[in-house]
Amino acid sequence: MAMTLTPMEQFEVKPLMEHPLFHIAGHPIYFTNQSLLMVIVVIVASLFLSLAVKPGRLVPTRGQSMAETSYEFVANMIHSATGEDGLKFFPFVFSLFIFVLFSNFFGMVPGSFTVTSQIAVTFSLACLVILLVVVVGFMKHGIGFLKLFVPHAPWYLLILLVPIEVISFFTRPISLSVRLFANMLAGHTMLAVFAGFVVALGSAGGIFTGLAIAPMLLIVAIMLLELLVAFLQAYVFAILTCIYLNEALHLHDHH
Amino acid sequence: MTSQEPDRLRELEQRLEEVQRRQAARAKGPPPNQLGIAGRFATELVAALIVGGGLGWGVDWLFGWFGFHTRPVFLIVFFVLGAGAGIRNVMHAATELNARMASKDLEK
Repeated sequence: MAMTLTPMEQFEVKPLMEHPLFHIAGHPIYFTNQSLLMVIVVIVASLFLSLAVKPGRLVPTRGQSMAETSYEFVANMIHSATGEDGLKFFPFVFSLFIFVLFSNFFGMVPGSFTVTSQIAVTFSLACLVILLVVVVGFMKHGIGFLKLFVPHAPWYLLILLVPIEVISFFTRPISLSVRLFANMLAGHTMLAVFAGFVVALGSAGGIFTGLAIAPMLLIVAIMLLELLVAFLQAYVFAILTCIYLNEALHLHDHH
Repeated sequence: MTSQEPDRLRELEQRLEEVQRRQAARAKGPPPNQLGIAGRFATELVAALIVGGGLGWGVDWLFGWFGFHTRPVFLIVFFVLGAGAGIRNVMHAATELNARMASKDLEK
């Protein structure tokens, strides 16, 4: 029997209904497996966080403790990266962090779908962040926000440096989104490839069947690594948001 | 008994400070691993090249729309600028990582 390994199949976006929900400028909009997972993530995260803090005990229950720890974790992160005045962006950064974290963790459930492995999703999130940074920067400093693109250098170098700074600013949404997307994509592809080895070796018969245990053990290890990556990438996404916000709030004076 | 109270309070204060210091260190996040660093540098560099090239292509397109045939002048110029921006990005990332690792070493 010819085995076909399709490690990329898990990233396919498939419509769950036959008919599109509605049309935007002639394009049919479907409710896909990705939409479903995003809805699940948002509902579960909201329900968990609001129900967990419901008891409001002085000595917290396990759920309450988890919710409070994540609150403190993000609050500390914002405080250390942007200072006191960055805390008014707490709701934004916290929602972003929780959405990415829950998406990553839900992606780890076998058979589900990883929302953050789609560049469309991560790039939208990154664009949202950069848009916020630009809006906040202009609101706080007015036209002086453009000083962000002018480093300390003699004028003849500025001709070269200002375009470089501008380009470098526009790379942010790309590097922010690609980092999250590539990590999730690579990790899940790796899991699927090794899972394919297990099936292939297991069905090969003879001595090879016993050998199937090796990739199996490896999958367990990669799974643990992926759980770490899932958290780490959510953290990186949130901390970079904080760093960019810090630049918009304080321009150059923190360097 | 009463003379012991300030000592115990001071001890408690010291312990609290230590806990706070440890938590502040943890808030800075887990240390990046080698693969993470490599991936970070690669994306910074490639993203800058893509944006630089894209901007140049856009400028060329804009000029072409107005009737000036500048293609591929701006594409080339902005691609080179993009390479510069990529190197700048990597240098910034490296200084940032160095600072984070130095603070990590201090804690030990």
